[in-house]
Amino acid sequence: MDRVVKKRIVKRYQVTWLGFVLAFCLSLGFAQDLTLAAHYTAEQAAALEPCIAAYAQETGVNVAYQQISYGDYLQTILTARIGGQAPDIYHIYSIWAPQLVDNGVLDAPPDNTLSWIKDSYISNTVDAVTINGQVWGIPTEVSNYMLVYNKQLLAEAGFDAPPSTWTELLDMAAAITKRNDQGNITTAGYAYGSSTATVVHPFFTMLYSAGINPFKDDFSGTNLTSPEAIAVLEQQIELFKQGITDRSIEVWDFPSGSIAMMFMASWFEADLRAAFVDNFDDVVGVAPIPMGDDWRSLQYAFFYGVDANSPNKEAAWDFLEWLNTAQSEGQTSCMGTMLMDLGALTANKADIAAAQDNLGDSFTAPYVAALERSITEPNVIQASEIEGILKTYIERAWAGELTAEEALTQADKEITTILKEFY
Amino acid sequence: MTTESLQSSPSRRRRRLQQKDWAPYVFLAPMLFFLVVFFVLPIGFALYLTFTRWNPLSTPKWVGLRNYTYLLTSDPTFYLTLKNTFVFAFGTVLIGIPIALVIAFVFTLSRGKAFWRSIYWLPMVTNVVAIAFIWQIILDGTYGLLNQLLAFFGITGPQWLSDPKSAMIAVILVAIWTGLGQNMLLFSAGLEGIDESYYEAARIDGANTARIFWNITLPLLRPTLLFVSITSFIAGMGSFTLILVLTEGGPIQSTNVTALYMYQMAFQDLRMGRASAMAFILFIIIFIITLIQLRIFRRGGVEAY
Amino acid sequence: MKLKNRSKAAIVLSILKYTVLGVGAIIMILPFFDMFIGALRTPAERLARPPIYWPKTPQWSNYQRVFTELPMLRWYLNSIVVTCAITFIQLLTSSMAGFALAKYDFKGKKLLFNSVLAAQMFPFFLFLIPLFFLMRFWPLAGGNNLFGLGGTGFLGTYTALIFPFMISWYGIFLMRQFMVSIPTELMEAARIDGASEFRIYTHIVLPLIKPALATLGIFIFIYHWNEFIWTMTITRTANDLQTLPVGIFLLRGAFQTAQTESLQQAALAVSVVPLIILFLALQRFYIRGLATSGIKG
Repeated sequence: MDRVVKKRIVKRYQVTWLGFVLAFCLSLGFAQDLTLAAHYTAEQAAALEPCIAAYAQETGVNVAYQQISYGDYLQTILTARIGGQAPDIYHIYSIWAPQLVDNGVLDAPPDNTLSWIKDSYISNTVDAVTINGQVWGIPTEVSNYMLVYNKQLLAEAGFDAPPSTWTELLDMAAAITKRNDQGNITTAGYAYGSSTATVVHPFFTMLYSAGINPFKDDFSGTNLTSPEAIAVLEQQIELFKQGITDRSIEVWDFPSGSIAMMFMASWFEADLRAAFVDNFDDVVGVAPIPMGDDWRSLQYAFFYGVDANSPNKEAAWDFLEWLNTAQSEGQTSCMGTMLMDLGALTANKADIAAAQDNLGDSFTAPYVAALERSITEPNVIQASEIEGILKTYIERAWAGELTAEEALTQADKEITTILKEFY
Repeated sequence: MTTESLQSSPSRRRRRLQQKDWAPYVFLAPMLFFLVVFFVLPIGFALYLTFTRWNPLSTPKWVGLRNYTYLLTSDPTFYLTLKNTFVFAFGTVLIGIPIALVIAFVFTLSRGKAFWRSIYWLPMVTNVVAIAFIWQIILDGTYGLLNQLLAFFGITGPQWLSDPKSAMIAVILVAIWTGLGQNMLLFSAGLEGIDESYYEAARIDGANTARIFWNITLPLLRPTLLFVSITSFIAGMGSFTLILVLTEGGPIQSTNVTALYMYQMAFQDLRMGRASAMAFILFIIIFIITLIQLRIFRRGGVEAY
Repeated sequence: MKLKNRSKAAIVLSILKYTVLGVGAIIMILPFFDMFIGALRTPAERLARPPIYWPKTPQWSNYQRVFTELPMLRWYLNSIVVTCAITFIQLLTSSMAGFALAKYDFKGKKLLFNSVLAAQMFPFFLFLIPLFFLMRFWPLAGGNNLFGLGGTGFLGTYTALIFPFMISWYGIFLMRQFMVSIPTELMEAARIDGASEFRIYTHIVLPLIKPALATLGIFIFIYHWNEFIWTMTITRTANDLQTLPVGIFLLRGAFQTAQTESLQQAALAVSVVPLIILFLALQRFYIRGLATSGIKG
């Protein structure tokens, strides 16, 4: 499971009991034409409520909101479909899409919706919802990665600017790392995590920066054994060889001030602000991925899709387009408002323009600016299985069990076997 | 049975005999129903699935023995998880049972039983998800309670759950901690069942406590020992909830046991067919080992079970 | 002289005895203690490096927040309903089947007993997927027609959480072992008095095996109070039916930030303590059962 994503969603698991009752009564009390299933809690999705009411008044179409916990979203869709309880509208993490498409779960948007999507969203993000050239839905929440660093730790070690290359990063990180009497790292120059996302996403980010795609364009194989990919993993291994970080160090410890640098997505802002409060601007810095001038970032997206078996497909697409379009000049769309409330990013161009107050601060602005150079997480089938395999081999290389080349060669072999099954 | 009852009215007797004949089937009816509907039927379905490729979004596709050959010949992870499963199951039995036995023995000789029992049973009434979360925090390598205590005594503890070398040990220790109360309970019940006269005879012969334990308690406790070790072993081979919450099989697959691999294969990778095949292979292994265990114990003079 | 030696040895022995028990007891308690203390920390105390162990101003409100921010009471209710129902049903079915297997001679008895033994060896995972479909396509339930189509079966009902646990092979085996030792003469005597077989079961057998029932009941209760994989699978589409372990599990990852870790520990404590108190309070009722029954081969 992708802890990064999961964590963000679940960390706001502040479902009040009341919310539950309310949602339940809502779903029972009104005749409904559409069901929308998303992982946002009732509280997080509160901004949608007046919109749904307004839409009902305007068009007579009622929409019921159904919350499904993120960690089990895909399984819930499965069981719901088997159980004949599938919703009309799904809110989906982009890497799940190939599987859903492959099994005919999703409906292809009608032409007018399609051209609207292409016009209204940043094209890199539209890639996230594109499989085999077909766009499958409306992108919503996007996340990308930047180098987040602790200004104070860097300054203490005599550095006044973040690194711009990996060599600089290694030097600075090595100077910052401290250990206690037991030899455990107490201040780490750099951090990874232990979830699939916190291992694989930084690796992909560096691959993109090195000008390499993890997979061949037609998904017939991987590019993991390319010299560039091996070089990237070797760069990472240096962190462990030099004792700058180890597997006990997790990105989630950054708020304690014991971690100097990490690749992190924008949604972590809320946690950082809660931890550093007034010192936030003095401590937390955001910088480009330190891979030279041609650096790239990785982005992943959620999107709205419609169930292919839904009897109300047309109504569902109409509603979704309405939901993602500003209803008055200079305002954000309903979905945009909700995402802004959550502190999340959007790839909706109109929403970005209308929400400069929200997106313009020193932390968020670099992320938004980087969306243009953020390449989407590969929409490969069996993505979680494949990323899980890659994660294991990256970790083995970090631990020194395998060289970078051995690790990536073995990963390539296993992943190619899976790709051969499906492509 | 008295002669009188044999001679009682023939018709009444026949009716009673009849009831006695069909009564067991009535008592067994729920079990028989369950056996067919919730056991044979599902197993048949699962067996069918092992010959298919299936994610629950589509319909199963027949692939013959491919799932089995893949697992047994080319899956790089399967044998690793099998090894981990054995380490986990044997580890919990071989370390856990002697500890539980000693504690139970000392316990039966002590005063204030209700007090001690309450303490040792705490993990037993705690749900496994809570146990895993509690220990996750304690086992933190740098700031966790355990390593802080060890550091107090000048010992450098490992990064329990984030070092592949120590993660399995940590998981086994937590499993033993979790099961200690229940095993102790079973052993102390067995110990209390041993007739006092054996001990008296031994004491008159001048045997000390260790000797009594070794020569009298252990042999007399053999049926309980057999029961507990076999059930713990079977449970250990198939259990994965604790590991799922504690480590999710990591780091670097070091705690990934077959049952967990199976679960993740089915519900994360959506390979129901291959996962079912793995379940069957694991079952066959458990079955064979259990038979061997029984044989060994029988030879050791235990006719139970 | 000899006597003196002996008493010295006895003292050493009892010191040793209580040291072993005491150290073990500390190891048993410490994790719970850590949890209770942890629940009282502020985020700042967690974020300090090294973290502050003893909270300066204990945050008792964390325990309150568990009830206002999480559906804790609902989880409790579900756990209690499901566990009690399963315990009752399993005690009934186990004692009935155990009785038949222990005290009657009939065709297929050996085969059935062996299947009870063998069935225990099947890992539950094997049943997970098929049972789900069984619950979904159960005929004439939840709007289903005779062929199990059209509705949602038992999905979204308590039945789905209870039904697949109607029988415990382990329970049947245990009951059978206990009942083998009931003297057959008692039953014969009752038969002579004209008692029906059912009456023998309810009035002679059940009272005799009360202690064993208590023991088994505790095992079943504990096992199903903690059962998690099936409940998790079947309640994915039914948040209202989630039990304590499932509810708490779905918080995983949610509470890893300093802001919420204390809340997680408070939630754990709240999920654990009432059951502990219940068992301590009931101790004297079931200890007797354990002492008299034992686990016999």
